[in-house]
Amino acid sequence: MSGHQHTRPYLGFGLGLRPDHYETVLHSRPAVDWFEVLTENYLVPGGKPLHYLHSIREHYPMVMHGVSLSIGSTDPLDIAYLRRVKALAESIEAEWISDHLCWTGINGKNLHDLLPLPYTEEAIRHVVDSVSRVQDILGRQLLLENVSSYISYVDSVMTEWEFLSAVAERADCLILLDINNVYVSAFNHEFDPRSYLDQVPVERVRQFHLAGHRNLGHCIVDTHDAPVIDPVWELYAHAVRRFGEVSTMIERDDKIPPFKELLAELDHARRIASNVRAEVAA
Amino acid sequence: MSVLQRLQADFQDYIVDLERRMAGNVVGTAKASAAQRLDIYAEAYRQRLVEALGKNFPGLAAWLGERAFDRLGVAYLDNHPSTHFSIRHFGHALSRFLATDAPYRERPALAEMAAFEWALAGAFDAADSPCLSVDDLGIIAPAQWPVMRFRLCHSVRRLDLRSNVPAIWQAIDRNETPPPPRAQKTPLAWIVWRQDLKTWFRSLAVHEAWALDAAMAGEPFAAICEGLCEWAAAEHVAAEAAGLLKRWISDGMIMQFEWSR
Repeated sequence: MSGHQHTRPYLGFGLGLRPDHYETVLHSRPAVDWFEVLTENYLVPGGKPLHYLHSIREHYPMVMHGVSLSIGSTDPLDIAYLRRVKALAESIEAEWISDHLCWTGINGKNLHDLLPLPYTEEAIRHVVDSVSRVQDILGRQLLLENVSSYISYVDSVMTEWEFLSAVAERADCLILLDINNVYVSAFNHEFDPRSYLDQVPVERVRQFHLAGHRNLGHCIVDTHDAPVIDPVWELYAHAVRRFGEVSTMIERDDKIPPFKELLAELDHARRIASNVRAEVAA
Repeated sequence: MSVLQRLQADFQDYIVDLERRMAGNVVGTAKASAAQRLDIYAEAYRQRLVEALGKNFPGLAAWLGERAFDRLGVAYLDNHPSTHFSIRHFGHALSRFLATDAPYRERPALAEMAAFEWALAGAFDAADSPCLSVDDLGIIAPAQWPVMRFRLCHSVRRLDLRSNVPAIWQAIDRNETPPPPRAQKTPLAWIVWRQDLKTWFRSLAVHEAWALDAAMAGEPFAAICEGLCEWAAAEHVAAEAAGLLKRWISDGMIMQFEWSR
């Protein structure tokens, strides 16, 4: 037991805000502690997306989660994009801003995928330098999320958790730990997901993600289109034991069910966290 | 080129162009070979972008049917990979692609459908504009009318369409059987705009289209009246122009009157 940071900002249990649920959220004010919003969906001039964003913000704290920062790309950082991210964060008083420890394209292309980086000293140096510049522009610490991956590079000289921890320590940024992604990558690359969690620095972790995936047999693909599976819940319990109280949310991006199903799933997360707390206190 | 740059170039070439060079940089295991692993990314790339295109052009996707739209999506993706931070922007050149590339250019209504849906998407999340109300016309002094110019709301989009794609789109949107495509020699003028949060479209008579285009180009009210003489008797044009203006205002298309430039 090494967790239980009392200084870590804690929002409770949240969900991803999706257009399918705008009206439900606004009118029934469900018992969700906070919402995570997908940054790029709101970098638009106006209309419905921003209308609902601001209306819902009046009732719930929000964090921003981006997919196009491409922090590991060898292309230059997109400064205009970052300025817009910063302006959006200010307009909704986002509690924090996260994106992924990955790259999404080079030579100006955006493949709209979260591509893994090789776990090398060169990649660490590159990402650390970019994170520092991003944090300067945003004027705050960035959270980086571990991605699911289907390949390992021949060039990699360390484990994913060593890479993630080194980036966070050296760039002085925070971690959004995706429990499902740890599970997916552990299956795909045949490592023990608990060892991963056990070696991520506790004080760097600000948020957890939970999600469902699709198992193809030879690989698990991170699809966010299904409920969280039991082994991922077990891993979540392990994470709560190690990291203590961490803001937790469930991502669902496809085959989006009625809101009450997501609420029930979120309640399951609450129960697990409270059982772990009771077990720790005993 | 650094090692990281080279690796990213090889990986991207595998995904985008199916260049196999990258396989040598990836560890294959008994569970899955290097190529099987890389193919997950390559297949997901096409699937994701074509799916996004379908969301941005739902009418075109339904009209063409799944297989034909998938073929179009992949062909478009190969020619116009995304360069924007938002996948919402993917498809900005689809109408032009359909108008100029075989075999799609043989069916000009496809390019028009894409242009129409892109206009709808643009109006949907265009910048909010404070709109004038018809009452605002009451406070304009008579001497100000001739020199008055108009600033239109950000969401207003003008299109000229030869085919009946708005009717086809509307039927698809309502889950009804779309009418057969029809084309006419002279294009019909259309506007797409958003009032509050609702997106609208309607066709325009020739004189209204001319007047609106003139207003959008910054012509003053007097010049609009003068131009309308082509369609109406001189003694009626001021009333005709005022009537059009009133309609544009009540539709929520005008954000400001301006008197100097």
